[in-house]
Amino acid sequence: MSLSPYAPIIGLFALAAAFSLFSVGAARFAGPHRYNKAKLEAYECGIEPSPQPVGGGRFPIKFYLTAMLFIVFDIEIIFLYPWAVSFDALPIFGFVEMVLFIVAVFVAYAYVWRRGGLDWD
Amino acid sequence: MTTSTVLAAAGDVSGGEEITFWILAPLALIGAIGMVAARNAVHSALWLVLTMLCLGVFYVLQAGPFIGMVQIIVYTGAIMMLFLFVLMLVGRDASDSLIETLRGQRVAAIVLGLGFAGLVGGALYRAMDGTTAVGLEQANAEGNVQGIARLLFTKYVFAFELTSALLITAAVGAMVLAHIERRKQDKVDQPSTMRARFAPGNYPGPKPGPGVFATSSSVATPARLPDGRLTERSTPDILPVRELTAQETSLKGTDQ
Amino acid sequence: MTELKLPSLDYAALAPILIMLGAALVGVLVEAFVPRRSRHVVQLTLALLAVLAALTMVVLNADDRLITAGQAISVDGPTLFLQGAILVLAAMALLLIGDRSVERGGAFVAQAAVTAESADDRRQAEGRNGLTEIYPLTTFAIGGMLIFVAANDLLTMFIALEVFSLPLYLLCALARRRRLLSQEAAMKYFLLGAYASAFFLFGVALIYGFTSGIPGRGAGVDFSTINAAVTESPTSPVLLFAGMALLAIGLLFKAAAAPFHVWTPDVYQGAPTPVTGFMAACTKVAAFGALLRVFHVAFAGAAWDFTPVLGAVAVLTMLVGAVLAVTQTDIKRLLAYSSIANAGYLLVGVLSPSRDGLSGTMFYLVAYGFSVLAAFAVVTLVRDADGEATHLSRWAGLGRRSPFYAGLFTFILLAFAGIPLTSGFTSKFAIFGPALDGGQAWLVIAGVLTSMVLAFPYLRVVVMMWLSEPGESTPTVTVPGGLTSAALMIGVLATLVLGVAPAPLLDLATGAADFVR
Repeated sequence: MSLSPYAPIIGLFALAAAFSLFSVGAARFAGPHRYNKAKLEAYECGIEPSPQPVGGGRFPIKFYLTAMLFIVFDIEIIFLYPWAVSFDALPIFGFVEMVLFIVAVFVAYAYVWRRGGLDWD
Repeated sequence: MTTSTVLAAAGDVSGGEEITFWILAPLALIGAIGMVAARNAVHSALWLVLTMLCLGVFYVLQAGPFIGMVQIIVYTGAIMMLFLFVLMLVGRDASDSLIETLRGQRVAAIVLGLGFAGLVGGALYRAMDGTTAVGLEQANAEGNVQGIARLLFTKYVFAFELTSALLITAAVGAMVLAHIERRKQDKVDQPSTMRARFAPGNYPGPKPGPGVFATSSSVATPARLPDGRLTERSTPDILPVRELTAQETSLKGTDQ
Repeated sequence: MTELKLPSLDYAALAPILIMLGAALVGVLVEAFVPRRSRHVVQLTLALLAVLAALTMVVLNADDRLITAGQAISVDGPTLFLQGAILVLAAMALLLIGDRSVERGGAFVAQAAVTAESADDRRQAEGRNGLTEIYPLTTFAIGGMLIFVAANDLLTMFIALEVFSLPLYLLCALARRRRLLSQEAAMKYFLLGAYASAFFLFGVALIYGFTSGIPGRGAGVDFSTINAAVTESPTSPVLLFAGMALLAIGLLFKAAAAPFHVWTPDVYQGAPTPVTGFMAACTKVAAFGALLRVFHVAFAGAAWDFTPVLGAVAVLTMLVGAVLAVTQTDIKRLLAYSSIANAGYLLVGVLSPSRDGLSGTMFYLVAYGFSVLAAFAVVTLVRDADGEATHLSRWAGLGRRSPFYAGLFTFILLAFAGIPLTSGFTSKFAIFGPALDGGQAWLVIAGVLTSMVLAFPYLRVVVMMWLSEPGESTPTVTVPGGLTSAALMIGVLATLVLGVAPAPLLDLATGAADFVR
């Protein structure tokens, strides 16, 4: 089986890797870093905390909301995939179907946004 | 892509496919065994990611690029992330107790697991032996993803649009169950906290710790103030204050 | 790739469904953009108007007999009758859900994410207004039920099942009082419901595999293909039987039939009482609507094979419901077991092959829905300082303290017991008659015997209410506001009218009792 149809995916992987390396590197070099000894101290006094955070590193429940929103849009992307692949064969109704679907999902997004689900206080 | 899918459907195994299989199949198995054997729940989840990724590649090899992508994007991406989030919500140190609560559960699980493996193996053996698969070539005639698009956007368009209702319900449900909405008046800043602390009628100092007597190690035991009274400020609000017996309140006799 | 064509969509026939889903979308937007103070009124009005509009469309569509949306939705007599039933019962349930006079702020918690039993929680239980997200969720659930009874292929049916189940799982977790019990109920319902959905989905896959065996016809999960496969396919029916069993597990779970009933008492007890009423009335209609369609349209050719199995399930359900109802000490659990027993009677109706059996089942669903909603409406009224007093011992002497509501509840219980001049009698008659004609005498005998057993717990409650002296702990009956009163009165009046003059509704059901294939 020829894997040539998957060559673009390899390209995309390379692009993603390059982007993440670039982002981390750019932050390292371009960001302001004025360290001093006091800044690197964890506390003014007392023992250094061991790497283990209190409570075994439990997340607050608000992360669950983020995870759920991510899944919602992830599943939307899965439907976009066959739609994009056969976009040429789809008449105008295909476009309308997808717009309806995306609008419906964005109703949920608007709700979460307006009710402060995305605020990080 | 069309030729390759038809080739795969016809059962031809090319060299590249074989090499990929023999590399990834052991990896998938290692991931599966690692998932069961790992002591840390987060490690288990990461082993599962390995298995799922391998499965995703297998699907693509088997002329199912769509299910392969679903496997990678939805399962490895979203579902596994939710697994990890849930593990972190519970706490990654929260280890399961290994004590059996149901008698004979482990034996039953092993017997049933072996039985299930036997069933699957038997079914697979019979399916490999003489059964001819039909319908894949017709379904993939225009390409796998295109075939799915054809069904999804024509015959099952109603079901497709309906899934958006599920996604909305999921988002609303997550908000309802996990989000605490703070009203403006609930958001307190530092000056108002200080003002409330030093307001008349409020004792600004730290609360006394619970009085843990030698006879009672309960945090519901109230502490004793210097003048000998018991104070309820030392016990948590949600606990009923422990009633002390005469023996517990009396002096221990160590001061004589 | 050739150009794709959109299947024809009959928007008028789909209108009830589209109205409910559209209203739910607007409801979510209302949550996002309307100020908190006016949300409750806007949402309740929106939901009720949507139900009314959908009901109007159902009435206007009354003569439709068609399959639309590419074989996905069939709009025929049973669909329209059951959609109408769901909408009427849902309107009553919405009145109960929207009531804020019986308990300050309504029966729902203000912020579900606040830790249960904490100080914050006690503060918000005292009178902060309840969540208004319940309205779009309920509207979604109603929309899903409308699709569930109209679905003409198993895939659409599965998604409809999820569309109405997910909001119900959420609604169960949102009680204002006894929140731990409520959250436990939601958790149990969700986990077991997910299992049941998985069974259903596996069944769909096996059935799809089975249909590929018909010579000269493609595989599919729409009911006409399955029907053709059942009669024509030369392949071994192992896949068919396995698929049918798995599908039945998924559907019988929603219908609360034994041995898939174990969630019912806990969930009915833990959920907020208006939601319990909604589930008892509307979910039952939806689940049995789907059972009727699957077994009368898709698997009609296999009736000889599934009747004994479903018959055994029906007998077991009646026995479990009736016998365990006798031992209950909580009124909501008692009603839960009664609802399980009623699922058994309804299964008898599903197994009658005739047109009368179908119309009898549909009549029973409506009659039972009205009575059970009225019963839960009374349960919301009997309260003390800690919320509803559901323990049966607390109901002793209630007849002396407030004879009017105790009288109404007595009437509903008598209807459940099947006393003549109530809808309970006529509906049992409508189900057992066709079953006798159809040669299912064993089911009818089991039904009559268990009805007699089941009458005992009902009458025990009646005796307790009227013949005991009210004690110190006898709770008060809150005088309800307009919404709950309206729902209660509609339920009681329907129970009476359907008992005295059942003919119009029975005629309507008989006229609607043929599936389009």
